[in-house]
Amino acid sequence: MNILLAAALKVVGVLVFVMANAFMLIWLERKVSGYIQRRYGPLRVGGPAGIYQSAADILKLLAKEDFMPGGADRWLWLLAPVVSMVPAVLVYLVLPIGRTFTLQDLGVGLVFFSSVTSFTLLAIFMAGWGSNNKYSLLGAMRAGAQLFSYEVPLILSTIGVVLIAGSLRLQTIVAAQTQHGWFFFEQIVGFIVFFIASIAELNRTPFDLAEGESEIIAGYHTEYSGMRWAMFMLAEYSNLFTSSALGVALFFGGWHGPWLPGWVWFLLKTYIVVFVGMWIRWTLPRIRIDQLLDLGWKFLLPVSVANILGTALVLMVR
Amino acid sequence: MNWPMVAFLFLAAMVLVSAWRVATTPSITHATLFLATTFAGVAGLFFLLQADFLAAVQLLIYAGAVMAVVIFAVMLSDMRDIEPVRGRGLAAQVASSQFGWLPLAGATVLFVLFMLVYVHAAPGWPKTPVAAAPDSTSYIAGALFGSYALPFEVASVLLLAAMIGAIILTRQEGGRRS
Repeated sequence: MNILLAAALKVVGVLVFVMANAFMLIWLERKVSGYIQRRYGPLRVGGPAGIYQSAADILKLLAKEDFMPGGADRWLWLLAPVVSMVPAVLVYLVLPIGRTFTLQDLGVGLVFFSSVTSFTLLAIFMAGWGSNNKYSLLGAMRAGAQLFSYEVPLILSTIGVVLIAGSLRLQTIVAAQTQHGWFFFEQIVGFIVFFIASIAELNRTPFDLAEGESEIIAGYHTEYSGMRWAMFMLAEYSNLFTSSALGVALFFGGWHGPWLPGWVWFLLKTYIVVFVGMWIRWTLPRIRIDQLLDLGWKFLLPVSVANILGTALVLMVR
Repeated sequence: MNWPMVAFLFLAAMVLVSAWRVATTPSITHATLFLATTFAGVAGLFFLLQADFLAAVQLLIYAGAVMAVVIFAVMLSDMRDIEPVRGRGLAAQVASSQFGWLPLAGATVLFVLFMLVYVHAAPGWPKTPVAAAPDSTSYIAGALFGSYALPFEVASVLLLAAMIGAIILTRQEGGRRS
């Protein structure tokens, strides 16, 4: 019974965090976009620092009609938002939040993280196919091509870190950085590839072709409204947090830092990386699909392979 | 009944039901998604056996990458060509998705049962469960790159040959550059 209770507590804890995190990140995104692009709306809403906007967003989404298109593939359409939440929640399992605090410190934490996030493609495909709408299907195909091409450099870019740390366990990787120094300095090439590829994996501008609203309405979630649409957004903001957290654990020493407790450092660094991601989103324009695929296959992939070879050579000589 | 047993029964039912639906569902899209469920269930069984590296790789390679390839195959093919096989003659019926699964499934079940009995009766088979390795990754790495390095390399050469072959075949068939 204790196993069940512990598991239930973990799941509830993660879900509460996912909600709170989305609430905060939506507020942050509005503020960042407001300051960068001089949007007056987000800078003038009510409440302390405009926090009422997020509450209004949630109320609006709860009150909205949940509408299913007539020709939809019923089960696929209904299940897609739920499936998109599954990888978003599962990846919290292996995040090294504090010095001794991980929900489940798997020996293959890094591989687990990448394998679970690859499930996002299924949810997008289910939504795009199930909606029975050509824009949805086009968005899903774009997302498929994109996730498929950026998954490879994303995984390869982390191998340099694994080689130096000698483990796939995220806690061990973070612990190695407390003695060795943050891997960001040695693995700067790996970090750049990782950062670009993770923005692409998240389908965020400049890589948001999957929902490019000026071309295909909203991509795979064109036909969703209300809470079902909100679940896609919840998963997206949760993925933004977790992939930044993975970057922090791999390259910026995770919970490592002076004075403050570990988890505070971890959250602080993660939100700084999230902020940089938002900064990029509101500064750069969207790129074309051929540019996207060229960048993935002809630049990021060779660079990440060269990074692995270079790291291995240096480790062998040392 | 303990919780691992409950988890095993749940995962086994998930694998069996979704594998059965892969063969019987008339829509190729649904079959693809049921296949993903099957792979995820098998990965869950690996987790239950504490083979966490195997489980993560199963998710990554099969449920993740192979699913992406299958999705592309579905999306790039003409849906009018993909009609479910309806029974014409007896041979077509046996090979079809509606009726063909019974004899084949029966034969497979008999074969697996035979293998299980044979393995159980063979000498040197541990009758008590062996404790799982605390960190299975390093054991697998040791086996792959140590004692079984040659088969590993042969397999990778084979995969490389298959990849080059696929590129050559598609180039010749298409005849035009994208």
